[in-house]
Order: sequence, then C-alpha cells, then structure tokens
Amino acid sequence: MFKFLASRLVQMGFLFVVFLSLVWLMLQAMPGDISDTLVGNPSIPLSVRLELRDSLGLNEPLFFQYLTYITNFFRGEMGVSFSRYPQEVSTILWTALPRTLVLFLTATLFAFWLGFKTGKLIAWGRGASSEKGLIVTGIFLQTVFYPWFAILMLWTFGFFLGWFPIGRFIDARLWQNSPYDANELFGQMIITALIAFVVYAVGRYLISRYSNNIVTQGRLAQGLGVLTLGGLVLYWWVNPAREYTWDITHHTMLPVFTLSLVLFGATMLLTRSAMLETLGEDYILTARAKGLPDRVIRDRHAARNAMLPVTTSLVLALAFVIGGGIVTETIFSWPGMGLIFLQAINVSDIPLAVGALSITGVLALFGHLLADVLYAVLDPRIRVA
Amino acid sequence: MTQTRKALSLENLETRQIDPTKPLLEVDGLVMHYKIKAGEVSAIEDVSFTVHQGEAVGLVGESGCGKTSVALSLLRLLPSNANYLAGEIRFDGEDLLSLSGEEMRQRRWKDIAMVFQGAMNSWNPVYRVGDQIRETLDTHYRGVMTYDEQRKHMERLFSSVGLPGEMLDRYPHEFSGGMRQRAVIAMALACSPELIIADEPTTALDVIVQDQILKELKRIQLEMGMSMIYISHDIAVIAEVTDSIGVMYAGKMVEYGPTKAVFSRPRHPYTYLLLRSTPSITGPRRQLAPLEGEPPDLLNPPAGCRFHPRCPFATEQCKTEDPPWVDLGDGHKVACFDYQRVPALDEALQR
Amino acid sequence: MSLPPMTVDDKAAQAGGGVHVDGASARELTGGAGLGSTPMWRIRLKLFRRSVATMWSLFRENKMGMFGLGLILSFALMAILHPILMATVWEPAIYDPVSGYDAVMTEYTVVEGEPTDPLSEIALERARLRLNPRIDAGEVVTIPTQPAPPTWTGETPHYLGTDAQGRDILSQLLYSTRAAFFLGAVAAITTVFIATTIGAIAAYFGGWIDGGLMRFADLILLMPLLPVLIVLSAVFEMTMVLLGLMIGVLSGFGGVAIVLKSQALAVTVKSYVDAARVAGGGDWHVIFRHIIPNVLPLSFLFMMFGVAEAIAIESTLSLFGLLNVPMTWGIMINSAQTNGYLLSGTSFWWLLFPAGLAISFLCFGFFLVGRGMDEIINPRLRAR
Repeated sequence: MFKFLASRLVQMGFLFVVFLSLVWLMLQAMPGDISDTLVGNPSIPLSVRLELRDSLGLNEPLFFQYLTYITNFFRGEMGVSFSRYPQEVSTILWTALPRTLVLFLTATLFAFWLGFKTGKLIAWGRGASSEKGLIVTGIFLQTVFYPWFAILMLWTFGFFLGWFPIGRFIDARLWQNSPYDANELFGQMIITALIAFVVYAVGRYLISRYSNNIVTQGRLAQGLGVLTLGGLVLYWWVNPAREYTWDITHHTMLPVFTLSLVLFGATMLLTRSAMLETLGEDYILTARAKGLPDRVIRDRHAARNAMLPVTTSLVLALAFVIGGGIVTETIFSWPGMGLIFLQAINVSDIPLAVGALSITGVLALFGHLLADVLYAVLDPRIRVA
Repeated sequence: MTQTRKALSLENLETRQIDPTKPLLEVDGLVMHYKIKAGEVSAIEDVSFTVHQGEAVGLVGESGCGKTSVALSLLRLLPSNANYLAGEIRFDGEDLLSLSGEEMRQRRWKDIAMVFQGAMNSWNPVYRVGDQIRETLDTHYRGVMTYDEQRKHMERLFSSVGLPGEMLDRYPHEFSGGMRQRAVIAMALACSPELIIADEPTTALDVIVQDQILKELKRIQLEMGMSMIYISHDIAVIAEVTDSIGVMYAGKMVEYGPTKAVFSRPRHPYTYLLLRSTPSITGPRRQLAPLEGEPPDLLNPPAGCRFHPRCPFATEQCKTEDPPWVDLGDGHKVACFDYQRVPALDEALQR
Repeated sequence: MSLPPMTVDDKAAQAGGGVHVDGASARELTGGAGLGSTPMWRIRLKLFRRSVATMWSLFRENKMGMFGLGLILSFALMAILHPILMATVWEPAIYDPVSGYDAVMTEYTVVEGEPTDPLSEIALERARLRLNPRIDAGEVVTIPTQPAPPTWTGETPHYLGTDAQGRDILSQLLYSTRAAFFLGAVAAITTVFIATTIGAIAAYFGGWIDGGLMRFADLILLMPLLPVLIVLSAVFEMTMVLLGLMIGVLSGFGGVAIVLKSQALAVTVKSYVDAARVAGGGDWHVIFRHIIPNVLPLSFLFMMFGVAEAIAIESTLSLFGLLNVPMTWGIMINSAQTNGYLLSGTSFWWLLFPAGLAISFLCFGFFLVGRGMDEIINPRLRAR
C-alpha cells in the first residue's frame, strides 16, 4: 500500500513539474517581454523592480530562467502582485487558499454523501414513484447552465427570501469594531473542524476493530458522529466569538450549497446506474440465496461495489469542482482563490493570476491522488498493481 | 411444522440419521410462467419430482429447458415477473411457496443451500472470503457461536474441501478457479443445510479439476448424509454422482427414474438421443444419432408434446395431446406415447 | 489496399451463396449482381447505410434521445430563422442584435421616494433631473426606456423586450444560436477527431506509444479546463474559431482519449483485425478501415457531450467578460450584469432568463441525445 502511495506521489510530482513548465512556456508565449509581464508594472518602484528581476532570474539566459522559475515555486516565491502591491503573491494566496479548500471539500463531501445515498435508494427501489422526479431533477442539475443557476440561487435565497446574506465573506459592518480578525477566526474554525474529523475517524477505526457485530458497529458509528458534530457545535456555541463565527458560517452556507447541488445531481445519477449494473452481478444472487436481509445486500454488497465507478468519476468531477468553484466565488463575491484569480485576470495582474493557476494545479493533483488512494482502499484487486 | 434449532457442527451432521425412504423435498405439479413485454413464457410446466433424505437427484436437459428455473424456485430467488400458477414445493412437509418473504429468507442457506452456475463469480470481490462465509453464520446463527468458534468452524469447512485455513483471510481474486469453486462449496456447507443444489458446478473448469470437484461433492454428500440436487446439461457428469435422474425438456419433465435405469434403458426419445449423441469408447458400436433442430420458443410452445417437432417418432397424437406419465416400474416413469419404439431404434443403430 | 479480385467464373460467388454479413445476404448487398462483380466500396457503402439505419431505428424508440433531438432541431430552426427575419420583417436599424436601437416609449407615474415598481414608476428626484425640474408627484410621463419590458403590439414589437442598450432581446437570442452551434461543432469535432485518432493509435500499437500517450492524457486530465481557458482568453485574442479549437484540443487529448482507447482496444483484439493483417493490410489500413469505424459510435456520443460542454464553457467565459465576441448568450447575461440588473430577479427577468434558459436547454438537448445514444451503445442500459 505504501509503495503504491509513494510511487503515485513521485508520479504526481513529476506531472506537476511538467505542468509548471507548460505554464512557464505560456508565460513566454505572451506578447511582450517576460520581464514586463512579471515585473513591469508602474506601481512598483524601480529599485524594487530591479531586485525582483534578480530574484526571479529574469536577467539570466532562458534555461536558467526556467530553472529559477520552477525552484522558486517550490520555495513559495511567486513574485509580487501588481494590483495589490506591495503584497506578495504567496501571501495573498495563502490567505485565500483555506477558504477555497473549505468550499471545495464541504461541497464535494456533502454532494457525494447525499448523492450516493439517494442514488443507492433509488436504484434499489426500482420504479418507486419518486424515481422519475428525482432523475429529472438530477439531469436538470447536471445540465443547467451553472453561472446562471448560481445567480438564480443567490437571488432566490439571498435577495428574495432573505434567508442568506447576498454574497461576500463577512458583513463588514458587524466586524468593524470586533476584537477578532476574520481570517484568524476562520482558521480556528477549520482547525477545530479538523480535530473533530480526526476524532471521528479514529473512533470509527477503533469501532471496526473491536466490535464484531455489524449492527452494534452501525449504532456506535452513528453515536460517534452525533457526538463529534455535537461537540464541535457546542464548542463554538459557548465561545464568546459566537456572533462572528456565525456570520462567517452564514455567509459560507449558500455558496457551498449551490456548488454541491450540481455535484449532487451528477453523483445521484451515476450511483443509480452503477447500482443497477451491480445488482445484476452473480454475487448479489448469491447474497440473496444466503438469506441475507435486504438492507445488508443493498448496502454491504451492492452499494459497496457501486462505489468503485463513482469514485473514478470523482476524478472527473474534480475538474468541475474547480471550475465551478471559480464561478461560485465570483457570483457570490466570496473571496476565495477563484475570485482572486478572476480579478487578477481582469486587471492583467499576471503574477497573481499565474500563481493562482499553479496552486489550482496543485489542488487538482492532490485531488487526483486522493481519488486514486480512495479507489485503492475500496478495491482490493487494485492493490497488487 | 416446527423447526428445531440445529446445533451447528460438522460432527452433528456426520452422525445425522437419515431415512432414505422419507422424502425431504417434494416438488408437486409446479407451474411457473414469466411475464415479459412480448407475453408470457411458459418456463416450468407441471414438473414433479421427489428428493429423499440422503438422495442425490440429477436434473438434466438442454440450456433453457427450465432446470435452473426449478432450482431457483426452490429458494424462491426468481425475479418478480415469475408467477407460480400451480403446484407446491414441500420441504419437510412445509410448502415453501406459501411462506412470506421473511420466512423464506430465514430458511435460505440454513435448510437449502445452493452452489451456482459459474460459482466463481459468487464472490463479492471487495470482501475477504472468510468474511463472506461468516456472514451466513451471523445471519442464521446469531448469538449461537462466538467469533472464535465461528473461525474454527470455517477452518473445518475449508479443510473438508481441501483448502488451507489461512485462505479465509484472502480475497476472491487471490484464489484460482478450482479453489474458488471449493470455497463456494465450503460456504454452502456453512449452515449445515439438509439439501444442497448444485447448478452446473463444474462448467468452466478444466477436466481434471472437474473430476476432483465431483468426487469431493460426492464424498461430502455421503459423509454428511445430505440430499443433493445436481443440475447439468452434461449427462455423463450427472450419471457419475446421482441416484436418480430427471430429464427435462422445454419446461417439462419427460423422464424420471433411478440413474442406472434411465441410463441403460432410456425410454423417452429425447433421453435416448441425448445419451446417444456422443460416441462411447466402450459399448457396442452405434451410428451417431444427433439431435436436429432447436428447443422451442417457450413464448409460444408447440401444442401437444413439446418435443414433437424434433422427435423421430412423432405421430398425430403427439402433435395434439400432452403425453401422460407411464409407470415403467421401480420408480422409472416416462411421458411419451411411443416409448416402446425406443429400444427398436437402439437396435437399428447398432447394426 | 483492397482484397484481391474474385474470379468471375465461380457460379456460387456470382449467386452470393450463403454468405451473410451483418444480417444481410450477399445478394442483398450486391443488388443481385453477386460478390464477384460488385466493387468493394459499394458493398461497404451499403453496409454503412444499413448500420446507420439500424442505429436510427433503435434511437427512434428512445424517448429521451428523441426529445433531445427535438430540442436541438428547435434551436436549429431558431438559428435559421434569424437571417430570414432580418432580411424580411425586421428592420436592421432597430432589430440588429449588436447595433440596433429602439427607444420604447413607456409611461411612468412619478412617485415620491423609492418606486415600488421600477417598470411603471419613477422617483421624483430622477424625473426632475432627467426631464423637467418642475414636475410633481402624481404626474404621468412618457420616457424612452432601456431596458424595456416585452411589447407585443405596435409597429416595432419586442417580444422579449430590449436590453440596457435598447437592443431587441429576441433578436440577440436567435442570433446567438448560430454562434453556439458553430462553437459547439468546432470544439466537439476537434475533440473527437483528436481523441479517436489517439485512442486508435495507442490501442493498435501498444507498448511505449500507448504508455506515452496515456501519460500525456493523464496530464491533460489533470489540468482544470476553465482556469486554463480563462488565462488563455486573457492572453490571446479569442475568436469563436480559436476558442473552439482550444477547447477541442484541450479536451481531445484528455479523458475522452482514454475512454476511446479502451474501446479501440476491445476492437483491436477481435479476430477480424488479425484477419485483415493476414490478408496484407498495412497498419494504417487496419486503423482507419477497421478500428476507427467501430469506435465511431462511441466517438459520436462524446461529440454530443462535447458540444454541451463547449457551449457551457463559452457562455461562462463571455459571462465574465473574457471573450471579445459581438454577441452570444453569455454576453447577454454579461451585459445584464455590467448594467447592474443581475439581481433584479423578476422585475427585469427578460434580461436574464431567455439567455440562461437557452444555454441550459440547448445543452440539455445535446446531453439527452448523448444519453440516448449511450443506451443504444451500452446494451446493458437498455430497458427490457
């Protein structure tokens, strides 16, 4: 297993260097001089410009420029932003990255969890009255024009119903005199959520190890879930920063929900067809012959196998999540990496834009890796390869 | 009929008292039709046979003759478009067709187990083999055995089919074809069923492994006093392991009797042609008598005797009337109007 | 390279004998002339037409696919309709989608404070500023408005209203259909062309060619399409053709190639490929005459999805103002946004809904056709 991971990581590293190289080539292909592209902005004083040219290796022959570029990236040196001078690109992105990660992860996890459950139930139900409606909804969600859909969601839930704020990360007026810093608070929220998640994961592992009865396992797992989630909510409920954390959460809910809806539709449809196919397999007939209860057949046998093609599709969904994330952040004015990226493009802040693009590439890579690992965990046949 | 809780151990089974005259399973006049878009398929038409305690019964016939449908009916595993229009399936006196879904589920595997066609795909690829066997114990014998007792029991099962105990922790893809087959048999034995149905258990295996598996099955069956229904299209294989044979054609049973009798004195033209369609190394020289044509479409089965389109003896009566059972003595019966002509044909081919 | 000619004096060959190909007897395929005297290409053409006919009859039964096809045809109709309307009924000065202008005179009631209905009321201060400083509340004024709500009567009806620059929305909608089809076609054809060729080559030659191509496809798969295109559209001057080609190239080398390669692989191991090589067919002959034709149905399927995806991408890019094209559906929404009507919801619905619905429905149509084809090509999905 570890060999598999290690070899994949190496592969990924290599692919990423190739990706970076392509980005660099694209930079070269841009009209104008490369030093203008990266450094030539009037808002940067000349002395700083000369320094930058040096650190970015722009005074050297082409090949060394390339090397410097690659190594710089791994050192975190991505130049200085034009539009937000004097902020460095890496600083800007470092603040924005956790936000985008939260958006992606929450939306993906929620969409896959709900989509898988729904698809599984539909396929098992075989012709229940709700099936047609859900399938149509799924297809609608999958094919609707996403930016337009996001606008509609924002208008409906934010403007018309007023249940959610109309975009943005926080309500600036609320935070004017607050003792807290939004980014710090957000960081704290992420950390506590991670802790809760780790506790849950460890707990699940211990349960599966020490309980032999499937039914008690299920009940314990549910209890554990309630406990960790409840603990998390409780912690922030009694926290004096409650108002502020709620503000952040409230602003994050609608973008996450909108992004997850489309993924939900696609996952549900895919799970349904994967289940239908799995249900035709021989081992399902054997499971029925063994006298196993319906739920066990559906969940332990059929759904577990249907998970495999769905996980593979996770890889393709990644491309959508990233693109969709950019659109979501833009429509909701939610300051994640996607919004920064688009804004940078619009004002020709090339260093910032390229930096964001590279980080996006890293994210895509890791997503791929995660999906591959997940697949290997799920399918014992792959592990030998 | 009260079901007594069986204590689970292989030793128990091996000392099971069997009375070969008492019937364990009685299929009585079973009629089953499939409903499809184009109409109704008459898949099983008035099939009756009995399996006694400790007896091995074979069901033989071409693909599509209904033998697998009969087998699946015994466990009530057919899809929802299968309708039972008449007949009973009595197991230990109880009609299985009249049970509710949950009641039937409780009897599956514990009373009747099945080894499927292409049994190698019976394994779920993502779970270990041992876990999949343990499932049956957890389902049917909840609380009776501890985790370790279950493990011991499974190891015994594995050794009884000639597999090493540590293979229990492996995944199905790590087994070879023959090993998977043996493991399936072990799993079928897990809950000590009284009846095992083996549906083409050796197709898709090479001949040597086939032989081993057959011998294995026979040995287990004899040692444990289990009844077995053996289904195959390969009549030679059936002859080796069964005590009685039922020959099926196009959803109907056409001949039934002790294996020796049906083999040496086949009386239904179909049985005869089936037996004589392959040359034999021993025995008198005969001209080959191949079976021409194809089995009928069960959506619109032929009137009268379903075999008449391919039968060399078909008369006008055969085309309109359904032949009744004729008792030939010693438990041998045949459903044909012209069964006496079969020996004559045999002689003619020998010249 | 074709098969060696058959001797004509073989009567059986003339008659066609018992040879059956794809359900057709040799006699049917050659129109009675016999195998010996009909040229190969004619037989192939007949076989091709047959398989298309079979596919079509199967497709006709698929409700989903037919509905999708209907949608696509409706849009095609819209695309054709526009130049006809422009040439006949519609006056270019008013109805031109890009440069037309019509000031629709609308009545407004002057109110104090904020108007509750922006379509029929105007604030006092604004009225005084724009028209007459002596106006009072309660008076009714007629002002040329843009964007104007739909008007169905009068000399110059605007069935879907006008946009913030006084241009007719319906005209814009119909005009953009053409652009959408064009872009979709360019992108999808490019994608499929590249992916099919790569897939066939990788499957046929195997070895390091296969490995290399697939590694490259993995890399492409890794790159998220939208951000890359965003950067490219900022760097290069994007026309529809260029955009279509870029989308096509970026998609064609990626995931689609991988899938088509497995399909091609399934064909490569079939015996007729071996037979073709034994008969002396060179590598390229086998690839183009045998492998690719059998992969084509799947390719066509991906073309459908490809069109949907391309239209969505283009609309997204133009919605963000990154494309420099005169008029597409995305541009329509973009102009609504830049003029501040994005969150107007139901008041100025004609600025947002027609374009958004058009994009969604056309993509939906192609998606359904793709799904319908999927059910034909993957028989296990067929309803029994």
